[in-house]
Amino acid sequence: MAMLKTILGNLLRPSRTRDPADMPDVPPVYRGALAHDAARCTACGTCAFVCAPKAISFTQDPGVSVSWHFFIGQCSFCGLCAQNCPTQAISLNADVPAGMDSAAGDGLRLESVVHLQPCTRCGAAHVPLPDATMAVLWGTEEAERGYCPDCRRWAASARLRSAFVPAAAEEVHHER
Amino acid sequence: MPYSFPLGPYHPALEEPFKVKVQCRGEVIDSATVEVGFSFRGIELLAQKRNWVEVITLIERVCGICSNTHAMTFCIAAETIAGIEIPKRAAHIRTIIAELERLHSHLLWAGVGAEDIGFHSLFMEVFSLRELVMDMLEAISGNRVNYGMNCIGGVLRDIPDPARYLPALDALSKGLAEIVIPTFTENPTALARTRGVGRLNREQAVDWAVVGPVARASGLDIDVRKDQPYLSYTDLGFRSVVREEGDVLARVVVRALEMVESLRMIREALLSLPAGPLRATEGLPEIPVGEATIRTEAPRGEAFYYVASEGGATPARVKIRTPSFVNIPAIEAMVTGQPLADLSIIQASVDPCISCTDR
Repeated sequence: MAMLKTILGNLLRPSRTRDPADMPDVPPVYRGALAHDAARCTACGTCAFVCAPKAISFTQDPGVSVSWHFFIGQCSFCGLCAQNCPTQAISLNADVPAGMDSAAGDGLRLESVVHLQPCTRCGAAHVPLPDATMAVLWGTEEAERGYCPDCRRWAASARLRSAFVPAAAEEVHHER
Repeated sequence: MPYSFPLGPYHPALEEPFKVKVQCRGEVIDSATVEVGFSFRGIELLAQKRNWVEVITLIERVCGICSNTHAMTFCIAAETIAGIEIPKRAAHIRTIIAELERLHSHLLWAGVGAEDIGFHSLFMEVFSLRELVMDMLEAISGNRVNYGMNCIGGVLRDIPDPARYLPALDALSKGLAEIVIPTFTENPTALARTRGVGRLNREQAVDWAVVGPVARASGLDIDVRKDQPYLSYTDLGFRSVVREEGDVLARVVVRALEMVESLRMIREALLSLPAGPLRATEGLPEIPVGEATIRTEAPRGEAFYYVASEGGATPARVKIRTPSFVNIPAIEAMVTGQPLADLSIIQASVDPCISCTDR
């Protein structure tokens, strides 16, 4: 009798197997396909440092560019690269990541080229900071935007020095 | 005429490789020898070659079921060395994830146990309940396994809307109270396969140094959450579950009642989630010279971590002792004198996790 009741009850209830359309929502924190924005990347190497399976690496073409490389076969989707990126150049979004056949060979490989720029003061090739960072640091018009890290350091110490010794400011310029 | 019978390493009952060699006399088991080590990965050595951030990702892969426990225990050890105190909100979130993990681990075990005694409809019921927990974990962390919630100094992800998980907790409480617990404790089929089977009495439990639900089912009231409270367990008023019988049924009951207790703690932690930051530190961690020994209660029992730092970019030593490492050998004591047909449920009753043990 109990069995009949169960059978009848089951007939009246909808299926307990989920159909393809009835899926749980993709959570906003889902760690899916990885994307890299070269315009925001400063090639600082933090992503490669925190990547345990070494899915991220950098190569250099001296004086021309720095390339960011990603191989999906080694990625563990921990999301630490995106969490630790100081300029938010990496993001793991809700898209399904590309297929990966094996950890050794086949699978999606991403390359993103960060072009070096010559310093507007000394001409040394360097990775420019992202526009948003430069706008916060120096505004949009400042000459220091095009400086390499060395020249930025020089400019900062020159400012500091001129603040202490106003007359020395000119001398510094001449000495360089 | 005694004969020996090898079971495994490719196991008919469990997903992971371990081998039990049993000496039988007719139907009855005389003695058994357990062999592990088929999925050794050398994680302890690898951990000495990776920096502090990478090690968390690596350690999380010690176990596919209790991944959070391992990452969390390692982070607590690193925090102890560096003298970092994590924010209250982070401690609550860690507790919630740890208890959700215990829920899904115990439900997985209940399902596998039901299947081992040939009770497939119960297996389906249990696994549909487990899906609720997995959906909750995915909604919070973005992943069904390897949640990546922990970092040295706190947690990486917030629980922005705690109240939205309460309906799922209600459904789980109902499913446990109406289906899982009554079926395991009252259904004659389930009782016939579990009551009085695979006994491990109190003295044997002490001799074999078992931990976790296996010890608590043999009358040993040991639980790190109570004996040496960490995270928010003091605030949440944790109560341990102990049974005296020491058979498979007692282990089932201990785990079932632990799930009820976990549900209560998760609900309380979600409702009393304190405001505040998620991390005590900014940027990449710097761990000074020092060492720490940390115990936490993983779903299967006490997980033990020894972490040493020489102040460099990598840990100098990470020693991991997992609960299954002591629970699995106790199978030898449990199966003696039992029918061969009960071997699979007795093995499953300690909830052996081979990937943890081999690590």
